[in-house]
Amino acid sequence: MAETTGQLSSGAAVPSARNVTGASIILLLAFAPQLVELAIALASLVAPVSARSPLQVVSAHGAALVESLSALLRQWMDGGKITLRSDALLALIYTYPLIAIALFTGLARPRAPQDYFGGVVLMAIALFALWAASDLSGMRGFTFGPGTAPRMLGVLLLGMGAAVAVIGLVTEGPALQVYHWRGPLFVSLAILTFAVAIRPLGLIVAALASFLIAALGTAETRWGETLIVGVVLTLGCALLFPYVLGLPMPLFPRFLVQ
Amino acid sequence: MLDLFQNLLLGFGVALSPTNLLLCLVGALVGTLVGVLPGIGTIATVAMLLPITFGLPPVGALIMLAGIYYGAQYGGSTTSILVNIPGEATSVVTTLDGFQMAKQGRAGPALSIAAIGSFIAGCFATVLIAVLGAPLTKLALLFGPAEYFSLMVLGLIFAVVLAKGSVLKAVAMIALGLLLSMVGADLETGASRMAFNIPELADGLGFATVAMGVFGFAEIIRNLDSGAESDRELVQQKITGLMPTRKDLIDSAPAIARGTILGSILGILPGGGAVIASFAAYTFEKKIARDPSRFGRGAIEGVAAPESANNAAAQTSFIPLLTLGIPPNAVMALMVGAMTIHGIQPGPQVMAKQPDLVWGMIASMWIGNLMLIIINLPLVGIWVRLLRVPYRLMFPSIVVFCAIGIYSINNAPVDVVLAGAFGLFGYWLIKHDFEPAPLLLGMVLGSLMEENLRRTLQISRGDWSVFLTRPLSAALLAIAAVLLVLAVLPALRRKRDEVFVEG
Repeated sequence: MAETTGQLSSGAAVPSARNVTGASIILLLAFAPQLVELAIALASLVAPVSARSPLQVVSAHGAALVESLSALLRQWMDGGKITLRSDALLALIYTYPLIAIALFTGLARPRAPQDYFGGVVLMAIALFALWAASDLSGMRGFTFGPGTAPRMLGVLLLGMGAAVAVIGLVTEGPALQVYHWRGPLFVSLAILTFAVAIRPLGLIVAALASFLIAALGTAETRWGETLIVGVVLTLGCALLFPYVLGLPMPLFPRFLVQ
Repeated sequence: MLDLFQNLLLGFGVALSPTNLLLCLVGALVGTLVGVLPGIGTIATVAMLLPITFGLPPVGALIMLAGIYYGAQYGGSTTSILVNIPGEATSVVTTLDGFQMAKQGRAGPALSIAAIGSFIAGCFATVLIAVLGAPLTKLALLFGPAEYFSLMVLGLIFAVVLAKGSVLKAVAMIALGLLLSMVGADLETGASRMAFNIPELADGLGFATVAMGVFGFAEIIRNLDSGAESDRELVQQKITGLMPTRKDLIDSAPAIARGTILGSILGILPGGGAVIASFAAYTFEKKIARDPSRFGRGAIEGVAAPESANNAAAQTSFIPLLTLGIPPNAVMALMVGAMTIHGIQPGPQVMAKQPDLVWGMIASMWIGNLMLIIINLPLVGIWVRLLRVPYRLMFPSIVVFCAIGIYSINNAPVDVVLAGAFGLFGYWLIKHDFEPAPLLLGMVLGSLMEENLRRTLQISRGDWSVFLTRPLSAALLAIAAVLLVLAVLPALRRKRDEVFVEG
């Protein structure tokens, strides 16, 4: 009994603390597309990426948030068909529904947080897909347009996500599992490093750097042996892929070759 | 019947050429390797090696990739028996009795029964593919777009019923997979769908990219959670006496037969596969055993049945791919990728137009099984030594190999980033108890399903009732509906959950 009370008290403390966190995470998710575009816009200042300027992004999305609401209001007052810009549609289809879910999450106490948040994220993906497919034409007579199937599946996924979330809200179930940061962070960093480095710096640098960064993913790495294995593996790859298998791949940094 | 012999003769002629023998051996070796090593699965390996097959002739490429798949079923059992960690998802249940046998000093008989069972199952499945191939191909010619669509619906429903955990979550994963398959150019109009003007997305999300992410990278990240040094409690004593006793053989013979048949059936079904086959075979053995309490304490049937079943299923899952052109699971979907790279559109016409390809691959499976029994039994010591390589050195190597593999498919760095993103998404899926396998199956079948649905509706001028008025299609949909209802019914759900309790 003593054990279970100990678990219970910690279990009871977690949801109330998580609900604020949960709500804020969903809120962050609601603005994720805008933030990603902003990040790309900021990156375009230093790297050759085509994008709107950061200021444009902020003002366009800010205006879109207001515009979509006022358009909805007008629609509600005098009906009729309205056409919205893509940014405003994003706010209307994706951001506002998720803000509503975030507010609800802050008040609710899901009994199976694992399922509840799982379902909510699936809903977010579905809403985003519905927005992404909103520029595609639908049914033309009895034939499917390019947008028909994506919209059907978007609605299906939305329904499924909602069902999973509602069940997680009302029935008892597992709590959230613990997320670790070290493994995911360094493995993704290693992958990203490889992707960025392979073209300009070549296979040798990219593979070795990626190997060493990935090795940071666990505290148990012993650097001596890791360095040796990394170098051997890199040399092996440098022989295997371009020579034995004949896959075209730059080996050395571009500036050295030139 | 004469046809069959002629076909097999042709097949052996192709498979016995020195190049193909060598490729078969390479496939079997690599398969055993990934099977033995925990933390790297067949799907990720096939995805990783896909680019390597670009330079090979198509028959050789398929022979090698097939060898990896069934080779992994052999190798997986070694780790399960000796270390109590499944080397492959398909060998999870083998740990239950296999490791107990090893602890009792009977590791040798356990290993050899697993290998003999796999070999018998492999031979049976090879014959089954050869026998069923031609008639099923004829049946496939009766299939119109409506029937194809219904068959794929049935396959997806199977995947839902056979996936573990919540039915609802499995359906959600399928919907997500189908949605992901829509990214890229529309088949009919060429309109760019959900691609956000990213040129690399114009052709759609690469299947290998997503598979590598959710099965390769996500698995690595998940393994790191519990610390890289997972407790590998190797059975230390030397493995002496590989030969099983007479009693072992008598006990396991019927189990091998039952496992082989069950596995063959589950392999053919779309949505089934080697994982579910091994679980089902184990549960079945335990159900019909006179003394079920022996299971979990070193019953030899508990090793024989699942190991035969997973190998049989791995091989018979080629049947829907070769005859109908429908991949029943993720590994077969990667095989589709390998075939399309070589300009082969999988389907009934392949068997008629390129008999050397199909029959060469079938014959190679038998040869491969023969090689595997040699690779796995006398050489078991070598594989055990490999298990002593610590995970802290293995996982960065896998990350680098996967990254190079993904990059070399299209020479596109964006693919590598996408695979990484799907790796994080896969980690999230694991944390929220969503199964990635139905997602992948949905993604595989998505474009085929949409194409056939649109074609059906064009032919019928928008009339949806054709799916029910064409008898074959109606029958397929009826089976799907019954299955779905059964899966949701509480009584059967409990049964279904029981199957997975062992894992």
